[in-house]
Amino acid sequence: MARRRYEQSPMDEFLSQFDARTGWLVLMVTAVVIALAGLLTSVYTVQPEGQAIVKRFGKVIAIKEPGLHFKLPFRIDRQYFVPTARVLKHEFGFRTASTDEPTAYRKSPQHQDESLMLTGDLKVIDVEWVVQYRVVDPDQYLHRVEDVDKTLRDISEAVMRRIVGNSLGSDVLTEKRVQVSSQARDELQQILDSFEMGVRIGTVELQDVTPPDPVKPAFNEVNQAEQEKESLINEAEKRRNQVIPKASGEARKLIESAQGYAAQRVNRADGEVARFSAILQEYRNAPAVTRRRLYLEMIDEVLPRLGHVYVMEEGQTGPIPLLNLDRSPAARPPATR
Amino acid sequence: MRTGIENESPRRGRAAAVTIAAVVVAVVFALIGFASTYTIDEAEQAIIVQFGAPVGDPVVEPGLHFKIPFIQEVRRFDKRLLAWDGDPNQIPTRGEQFISVDTTARWRIVDPLTFLQSVRDQRGAQNRLNDILDSVVRDHIAATDLVEIVRSKDWEISEAALERAMAVEGEEEILMKEVTTGREELVRSVLTTAQKQMSQYGIELVDIRIKRVDYVESVQERVFDRMIAERQRIAEQFRSEGSGRAAEIEGETERLLAEIQSEAERDAEIIRGKADAEATRIYNESFGADPEFYSFFRTLESYPTALGKDVTVIISAQSDYFRYLREIGDFEVPLPAAGLSSDTDSRREP
Repeated sequence: MARRRYEQSPMDEFLSQFDARTGWLVLMVTAVVIALAGLLTSVYTVQPEGQAIVKRFGKVIAIKEPGLHFKLPFRIDRQYFVPTARVLKHEFGFRTASTDEPTAYRKSPQHQDESLMLTGDLKVIDVEWVVQYRVVDPDQYLHRVEDVDKTLRDISEAVMRRIVGNSLGSDVLTEKRVQVSSQARDELQQILDSFEMGVRIGTVELQDVTPPDPVKPAFNEVNQAEQEKESLINEAEKRRNQVIPKASGEARKLIESAQGYAAQRVNRADGEVARFSAILQEYRNAPAVTRRRLYLEMIDEVLPRLGHVYVMEEGQTGPIPLLNLDRSPAARPPATR
Repeated sequence: MRTGIENESPRRGRAAAVTIAAVVVAVVFALIGFASTYTIDEAEQAIIVQFGAPVGDPVVEPGLHFKIPFIQEVRRFDKRLLAWDGDPNQIPTRGEQFISVDTTARWRIVDPLTFLQSVRDQRGAQNRLNDILDSVVRDHIAATDLVEIVRSKDWEISEAALERAMAVEGEEEILMKEVTTGREELVRSVLTTAQKQMSQYGIELVDIRIKRVDYVESVQERVFDRMIAERQRIAEQFRSEGSGRAAEIEGETERLLAEIQSEAERDAEIIRGKADAEATRIYNESFGADPEFYSFFRTLESYPTALGKDVTVIISAQSDYFRYLREIGDFEVPLPAAGLSSDTDSRREP
């Protein structure tokens, strides 16, 4: 008894409390826990916006579509979700700060560095753009390139700068926008394909393309000057349109009045001639008397209206006043012939 | 109770010992199992190292693999394309223009063993790449004109753009510069030069690109000034074109005005002249029948108009009208009994 007690160690103590029933219990509990864990880790769902890559011991064995799926438990099979249906995008030269209405954009000096670039005529231009893409090969997307986002950004920048560097700044600002973006898309796709990155570039869209900030006022000045030019020309044309029709009208008036004069002149001539001819015909019947009558009729008409009429006797120095219509004494100096 | 335990303890102890032994054996087997297997991911490759010495070929196939437990260990390396991003460098071009060049490269580990031996890990590789790529890029940029760095081989300039550039001094020269290599060629050359040095590190350089080329700050300001000056010149040109065209229109207006007026005056004079001529012809035709009577008749007609009110007239007493004031006149005419009224009589007198 004493010996046995002496042999009693903590291990023996533990073992002494261990009976078959509790042993089974522990075993059962462990088994259930393991089974549950196995069950839980062998079921997974794939969200509708993508696909899942299933890897067994690190090797890809399947690509699963959205829905409920089973796999080997305990991380023997592991699934990796890739949003293949979603359109992903990268922004260059700006960031969308919030998508609340209205959408807010942010442009910090760092973003400025992304968007400022040299053009073919060695000027500087500020080009903002967006690259939209989709994952088309989730296997490649996960396993071929270390940092997909960084690679996409780096190559996008390099491609955009190459194309803008090979164009005139003024063209990129205006008519070559579409050409630049489609060229960038193709070139970017080609390079990423050579990397086997598993993405398809949807669009490369140029956003704001502007001159750099310090130069903007000068660009505006050009626009203003262009408008000034237009308005100067318009003004001059307006003046011309005002003056010329008026002058034409006046010219027509001048001609009309000349024609009026012509008609009048000829008509009067006709009239006078007709009258003269008539009188002449009568005159020829009795010339002396007609002559005298005409003369006297004239005197009748003229003489009463005259102011002073002086009748001069041949050889005399002083005139004889016949009529003196003003009553004042005639103090005029004698008129001489 | 205590007695009961003591009585049963030998049996229970045996059972416990068996269970514990089983657990221990299981754990040991599990340990050996785990130590003798390893997994390689799709993105990984590995070398098996035994006491520091590499054993066998690199493992590139993903999946479950076996090794000798405890004495062999796995060194893993990335199999994917890796990024290298250099710091922006200020480099003078051949034209002595200082520019800031930012390059980016893609590389991968193709010979993990050499890689392990020469640079150990990715950080070591990045350092080597920094040294090599920076220097290669620097050499190339320094030997190239700025236009060659910015433009590509297929650079061409439209006639219209050239014409626009004529307005600004020096601009045409920049635009006309032929591109002999261009950015793509330059980059390709950088890539091949750098690639030659890569094999000793077990690295393949896949791609290198100039990400950004920018003017250094002081140059950038000068470029901005140049751009502003150019814009202002263009603005000035627009303005002077505007006033020039306006003046042209004004001149045209004045010419048209003068033409219209003078034509009208000419036509009016012609019309008047013709009418006058016509009238003269009519008068002449008629008055020519008896010029003497016409002269008499017309003169009499003009007296009332010519001699207006309050005109003082001195008339000779011998005049036809006043001679009767002095005398009765000759008597060729019959006696006053017949009277002046007798027109019929005097008509007979020639």
